[in-house]
Amino acid sequence: MTTKTMASNVYGWMDERLGLSELAAFARKKTVPVHAQSFWYYWGGITLFLFMLQCFTGVLLLVYYRPGVEAYESVRQITFVMNFGWLIRSAHAWAANLMMFSILVHMFSVFFMKAYRKPREFGWLSGMVLLAIAACFGFSGYLLPMDELSYFATKVGLQIPVAIPWIGPAIANMLRGGPDVTEFTVQRFFALHVVVLPALFIPLLAFHLWLVQRHGNAVPESEEAKPANERKSMPFMPNFLRKDIAMWIISLNVLALLASVFPWALGKPYDSLAPAPMGIHPEWYFMSPFEMLKLLGSVLPGEAGEIAGMLLFTLGIVLWILIPFYDTSKESGRRARIAHYFGLLAVFALVATTVIGYWTIR
Amino acid sequence: MNYPFWDIPYLGSGWVIGIIAIFHVMISQFAVGGGLYLPLAERKALRECRNDWLAELVGYSKFFLILTGVFGTISGVGIWFAIGLTNPEATSTLIHNFVFGWAIEWVFFVVELTTAMVYYYTWNKIDAKLHLVVGWVYAGASVCTLVIINGILTFMLTPGDTWLGVAGTGHEASKFWNAFFNPTYWPSLLLRVCVCASLAGIWALISASRIDGSKHAALKSSLVKWSVKWLVPSFVAMPFLFIWYLFMVPQTQRALLTLGIDTMGTGTFSTVTRIALLIIMTSATIIGVAYYLAYRNPTDFNTSHAVAILLLALVATGAGEYSREMLRKPYVIGRWMYSNGVRVPYAIKIDQDGYLAHSNWVWNGADTSYSRGEAIFRGECGACHTLNGYRPLAKLLAGRDRANIESFITMLHEYKPDSPYHHFMPPMVGTQQDVDDLANFLNVQVNPPAAGGQKPMQTAQK
Repeated sequence: MTTKTMASNVYGWMDERLGLSELAAFARKKTVPVHAQSFWYYWGGITLFLFMLQCFTGVLLLVYYRPGVEAYESVRQITFVMNFGWLIRSAHAWAANLMMFSILVHMFSVFFMKAYRKPREFGWLSGMVLLAIAACFGFSGYLLPMDELSYFATKVGLQIPVAIPWIGPAIANMLRGGPDVTEFTVQRFFALHVVVLPALFIPLLAFHLWLVQRHGNAVPESEEAKPANERKSMPFMPNFLRKDIAMWIISLNVLALLASVFPWALGKPYDSLAPAPMGIHPEWYFMSPFEMLKLLGSVLPGEAGEIAGMLLFTLGIVLWILIPFYDTSKESGRRARIAHYFGLLAVFALVATTVIGYWTIR
Repeated sequence: MNYPFWDIPYLGSGWVIGIIAIFHVMISQFAVGGGLYLPLAERKALRECRNDWLAELVGYSKFFLILTGVFGTISGVGIWFAIGLTNPEATSTLIHNFVFGWAIEWVFFVVELTTAMVYYYTWNKIDAKLHLVVGWVYAGASVCTLVIINGILTFMLTPGDTWLGVAGTGHEASKFWNAFFNPTYWPSLLLRVCVCASLAGIWALISASRIDGSKHAALKSSLVKWSVKWLVPSFVAMPFLFIWYLFMVPQTQRALLTLGIDTMGTGTFSTVTRIALLIIMTSATIIGVAYYLAYRNPTDFNTSHAVAILLLALVATGAGEYSREMLRKPYVIGRWMYSNGVRVPYAIKIDQDGYLAHSNWVWNGADTSYSRGEAIFRGECGACHTLNGYRPLAKLLAGRDRANIESFITMLHEYKPDSPYHHFMPPMVGTQQDVDDLANFLNVQVNPPAAGGQKPMQTAQK
């Protein structure tokens, strides 16, 4: 029996049981629109790829990481003792940052392509929840090494929920496992990071992907205006998939470059009695909300100001999330224009407050 | 003391050379590879009667002429300016040795530029066979420029024992051919030829990506696929050539790389190894991306895809040039001149007479310890370090007090063979007074005087 016949027999056996031919035929039938903005379609796939890398490197780190009092020592061993531990840890940390970046690019491209409109509202909403969970992944993962920087950054970060009226301190205490950031906090964050958040993220991601599959890729308004016979498309399998793979290879290269040239540092072990080191600041993806709250706090001083700032900030986020229910019409009318300007304002605010945040680090 | 000091804060003068050089290499190696690509493509088109290819090649040769003839030549002159200002002593040594080599190269440049113009302007105006001959003349001249410059570039890494035997005697040029055909000449030449072919394919993809695939599917498909094939020689031959090249590099230099490979598992591997890894990773990415985006999807291949491949090539080229420079440490000319322009045999004399007595840089500061220290910093450290930017000494020495800074400088001054810095840093040359002066200057940068205290004035601020 030749190899070809053998492979064909194996495929036939599997096909009979799993329906592979139907799946392949379905994939061949699926198309992706081709137009000047097609580039933005890749960012969802890049995010997915980076998430898979996160899972892979995360599982490897899990083998040696010990939460609780030994957290710092175990990360020290991973970084300096285990062969290629530094690489896995650097890849995990850099992939997290790249993933947050690609999520933001994906979100804004969806926004400006108006891909949240009917019937894709659930795609937008599930994406927003996925972004929130990814941010929680970032926040909880940042503390796990328990070095000086992560300890104080988490301490500062957990001051934000304290500002929520009435329930804020209780939420902060629950997250910390007490009034201070301690090894109990690490234990809780670890459970969140490797069990709770993945348990929420993975099914929601599956739902998000299913919605993309169900409704297909949205096209920009300029393409929508064209008659159907003038619109171009390409088969998902194999044309778009090949391009997706190429983008994944590029992402992997960028990740390898960052991880090997700029390995993720490990600071000194934390000392809860020591003063916070100079230049303590949140991760770049939290810098904007952090700075916005700081600016609002300076405009509206006092406790009432803090609450007002929180409310204003929350209102902005709620408006952002609910955009599919405001900008519903396919015609480019007044609401569509307002939504577009709202998006531009959000990009500007995000970039400006991040720059101001870094500029004013002391 | 006759050279004006070229102070580039934050970036450092080395990176000015680096940026211009990487940009130049991307274009000049394309000038060589593209010189082979154009006549070969034209010959194929003529043989297969592909008029659509010929029409496309006319546009491509215009793009080629503008890119190489304008940006390639300007950046080439830019390198001369930058190296002359940054390391005049090394430039002077190269000119004294290779003046006839450069003269020959300039002749080839003139032939190259002339034929590039004739090639473009005579499309469809002279006999097709004659036009092809013009293309081949261009290709020959451009390869010859590589053949010559490669001798000079590799000389800087491996000047060879014969040339070193006469170095400093005034008869260096008598060993021109030994210096030229130095130990790394051949592997480097073949490596660069492979890179030239790859760059020709990559730049050709930029041009081919602009063809409308829906209207001219056959043309775009054939040109894109043919251009991707130009990446294959590199993919196949480069690993072997790279090993050959490293084998010819002196053991002392190779130690930087092997030390990096040995310590890669623990993450402490040397910078040169990290950057060399980038070459390998990015080259593999280029092949993968070119295969999936271009070869398997030629009609959908657009300019963004082509630019992505070009940017990857820029990363690989930049990493390659950076590694080559790093591999030369602590010298700018192997075993003859340290990277800060101090000739190896003169180090002892400078240790006796003091650095400023022999420094080639203009120094008109006040005769204070701080000012002398600043002049020594500029001359001895400034070729590779800045104060607060690239390789910042203020940061690298942070946490050390005055005594600690001095003991560090003393370690570099003693330059013991077992010192970890021995492999990649030149010695700190000069007297004990020079060590003190440099320590005083650096101490003020690392531990600035408290607010209100008088800060010493730098010469540049006078």
